[in-house]
Amino acid sequence: MDEAALMKVMNLVKHYGEVRAVDGVSFSVPRSEVFTLLGPNGAGKTTTLEILEGIREADSGEIEIFGERLRRIDRATKERIGVLLQEGSFEPYLKVREVLALFASFFRSPRSPAEMLRKIALEEKANALVKTLSGGQKQRLAIGVALINDPELVFLDEPTTGLDPQARRNIWAIVSGLTASGKTVILTTHYMEEAEALSQMVCIMDHGKVIAQGSPRELTSKLSQETIVEFLAPDGASFSPALAERCTITRGEGGLVSVKTSDLVGTLGSLLDWSRSSGEPLAEMTVRQPNLEDVFLSLTGRRLRS
Amino acid sequence: MRDILAVARAQLACSLRERITLFWFLVFPLFLLTLLSLIFSNVGQTEDLSFQITVVNLDRGSQSGSYATAVVETFRALSRRDTSGESPLFTLHEPTAGCDAGAFLEDELGALRVGKRSAVVVIPEEFSQGVVAAAAAGRDLDATAAVGIAVHTSGGRTGSDIALGVIDQVLAGVNKQLLVSLGLFDPAREVEVARVKVGSENKDFRYVDFLVPGVIVMGFFTAGLFSVPGTILFGRESKILRAYWVTPLNAPRFLAGFALGHLALCVLQLACVWALGRFALGAQIDLFQPLALVYLALSIVTFLCLGFLVAAVAKTPNSGMAMANIVNMPMMFLGGLFFPTGSVPPGLRAILLVNPVTYLAEGLRASVGVGAPTYGHPVMLAVPCVWIVGCVVVASLRLKWDVGR
Repeated sequence: MDEAALMKVMNLVKHYGEVRAVDGVSFSVPRSEVFTLLGPNGAGKTTTLEILEGIREADSGEIEIFGERLRRIDRATKERIGVLLQEGSFEPYLKVREVLALFASFFRSPRSPAEMLRKIALEEKANALVKTLSGGQKQRLAIGVALINDPELVFLDEPTTGLDPQARRNIWAIVSGLTASGKTVILTTHYMEEAEALSQMVCIMDHGKVIAQGSPRELTSKLSQETIVEFLAPDGASFSPALAERCTITRGEGGLVSVKTSDLVGTLGSLLDWSRSSGEPLAEMTVRQPNLEDVFLSLTGRRLRS
Repeated sequence: MRDILAVARAQLACSLRERITLFWFLVFPLFLLTLLSLIFSNVGQTEDLSFQITVVNLDRGSQSGSYATAVVETFRALSRRDTSGESPLFTLHEPTAGCDAGAFLEDELGALRVGKRSAVVVIPEEFSQGVVAAAAAGRDLDATAAVGIAVHTSGGRTGSDIALGVIDQVLAGVNKQLLVSLGLFDPAREVEVARVKVGSENKDFRYVDFLVPGVIVMGFFTAGLFSVPGTILFGRESKILRAYWVTPLNAPRFLAGFALGHLALCVLQLACVWALGRFALGAQIDLFQPLALVYLALSIVTFLCLGFLVAAVAKTPNSGMAMANIVNMPMMFLGGLFFPTGSVPPGLRAILLVNPVTYLAEGLRASVGVGAPTYGHPVMLAVPCVWIVGCVVVASLRLKWDVGR
């Protein structure tokens, strides 16, 4: 464990009845970085985060935050953290400015609502009712609420789920700005590209356990000797034994075929031979380096969003 | 304190902006008060009663000073407007001079049948003689009964039935005077009847005075029963409350702010209902006295706690609203909010006994001088307090502030 970490989590366990939702999770969160919990739905990310936010209590395990060991997040700690909940919402008949003022009243030294409105670019909507906001505007307001106490540590639980690409980019810009101003962010997402774009550290979870952690570069470098060739092919298409021996072939949704190889030239030649003999056109073929999705795939045999 | 006030302000703002809440909180009580007070404005009021009475004197010996003339004069006296200007009790119809009494009687009986007359009084031909003969025989009996004054009424007509009762009283008075004049009755021996009125201290009962406290309690009741579980259950389901729990705000402080906002809303509701009742509908009750204020505060707290009880028992907003509706009907309509509970059938009286609405509405009315409480004020106050304790105990054990797994 990193001694300089802002937060340390040790052997966290949480059961829901017979289900072990969080199964001995341990990790360290470095200061002023974006630390991402990545995993498919049901991996235990949100439960882990809810324990760290103080919503739930762990069955066992320890949390060290701001240099103090806690069994449960207390009031003093809540003064120093900000939380954006997954699918959280606010009173629909409050105005945007009123929501920020309401949450500001809960803290000892909050930022002013006017300042926060500028930061989240919702000044024009200051007097709009929450129920009239778009999905992206609501999420920006939720980030404003999470930052109203000028927290040292910010929890963002799937902040871009359900947003359009433009709104997602806006949220990414805000998150990037947080670490630039010295804040530490713990993010959960099941979007691989989001984790890659924002994170300095990634912790991959599956079935309540941490299956890998490190920087995105460290995680993908383990697969970096290999190259991925992807194309579309009919479900029933069969490849030559020579190709199957040379590389690893995986089929995904929508006819997507992923071919992982360390001999790119030989594999491309075999694929072209197969295309000529079978008449399949190798539609939408791309050649790329491995990403976090491939790391998850190599560790679990499944895709993140399968 | 800043956080509590902010929660209260937010609660108030949301309630005033949400149309459905605004309707049930303010518009509906005002509408109900206006409607009921207009429909039942005559309840308890003394109406100007005036009966159309025909008196036909067939007594052959009728002359000044005869007994038949005395009876007719009594009816004539009651048909004259007195000095107070109030309407006379009877509008008297008599045959004019020279008119055929028999034909007139037939016409008047016809008028009675079609509802144009309340009663037709017929003094028979030998009335005066009969009275004298009865007196001479020393018969100590009803003089008019002995010679048979006939009172014709129309069966089944309320006005006619009431007129019969009034005429009976008039003729009893005439009887007494006749007996006194014949020396057959000594007024000094008459048994005195003391009339004692139990119930309202308010001499001039007005339905609007009865209604205003009822509508105020009803407003508090519906606000507590529907608004409180609605806010908590919807807030829990949509994770609005969860956003509070990740901040330093805790459940007791949220609860204090929520209750304060609810109180502010109830005070606003009270002010509107009272102002409408007082200035538009003429209510004369004084709600701003210590005991009445105690009942008002107790009503708000009782129904707030009742709302928490529903929120504690229900799992979703829909089930909460269904529960509130089930509780609402018997408690509201068997709580004496709009009508006195005296006419409630015995089988349903058990609900009255346990219903806090009954005690709060009746107690509030009694505190402002409209009616007397069924029990003393200590009991009227104690029953809602028992409800408060019960609701708080159950709510503190069962109320969940966050969606569980």
